Amino acid sequence: MTSKIINMAERIKDAEDRLLESMFESLPVADDGFSVKVVGKIRRRLWLRRLTLPVAASIGGVIAFKPLASLVSTLASFTSFVPNEYVNTAASSLPQLQMLIMGAMLLAVCLLGLRTLED
Amino acid sequence: MTNQQDIELVAKAVSAQDAAAFGELIRRHQSQVRNFLRKLAGDPTLADDLAQDCFMHAWDKLHSYSGRGSFIGWLLKVAYTTFLQSKRKSKRYAEILESAGHVADQESRTHALPVDEVTDLDKFLAVLTEEERAIMVMSYACGLSHREIGDATDMPVGTVKSVIFRGKEKIRNSFDIKDHQHG
Repeated sequence: MTSKIINMAERIKDAEDRLLESMFESLPVADDGFSVKVVGKIRRRLWLRRLTLPVAASIGGVIAFKPLASLVSTLASFTSFVPNEYVNTAASSLPQLQMLIMGAMLLAVCLLGLRTLED
Repeated sequence: MTNQQDIELVAKAVSAQDAAAFGELIRRHQSQVRNFLRKLAGDPTLADDLAQDCFMHAWDKLHSYSGRGSFIGWLLKVAYTTFLQSKRKSKRYAEILESAGHVADQESRTHALPVDEVTDLDKFLAVLTEEERAIMVMSYACGLSHREIGDATDMPVGTVKSVIFRGKEKIRNSFDIKDHQHG
């Protein structure tokens, strides 16, 4: 009720208000390609955001591949401390560790790529 | 052009990251936003640059529009914040120039209009402070309610009313507004 009264009071304008309104009034500004320009900027920004993650992941994957592979091979050398019967089992179940890592990375990149296309 | 349609377009733009829906919102409101910033900045080119920044910020913050109050009110809040931020930046830039030994007259250049282009409205706006100008323009040029202006400027409704009253008084004291016509 109170807010209704306030709204009504706001709508009651005196001659001075009407005069000020007519003075502040201005012609509408023509679009003239303004909206197209802004939407273009937004689309470029969207694409940039979508590309950033897959590109960063790919670059990170390439950079991390070598150290990761050497880390894994170092870790593999620790198997000398493990009794023989266990090492034989582990080696036979992980014959090509590097190929496995590469495959995992490719899979991740493919999934990210598919997600980007889907978007 | 209803607020319900605006809300639907906002929902579409936010949920599907639909730039086309946002484009429609820009087409609907660019005139009011650009006019608001032109009156505030006093320079059409600068105002249009600020309007672009304003819509980019609006796109980033679109999810924060709750649908409470009009969309144009929310948009003018973003426009006003963008204007204040740019003002602060240019002030800082002027200070750097000054400390480097240059004459910092950027502000006076920005607001300077050729004498023949100065209208009655420009003279009215010149006697007002930045805050009064923004609130008077929101009220008399954009037709926002006191509550909407309060939301846009983060001020209580009572303060908005007193700023409008003060602005009117300044104009009344500086000019005989009954003698002026729109131009």
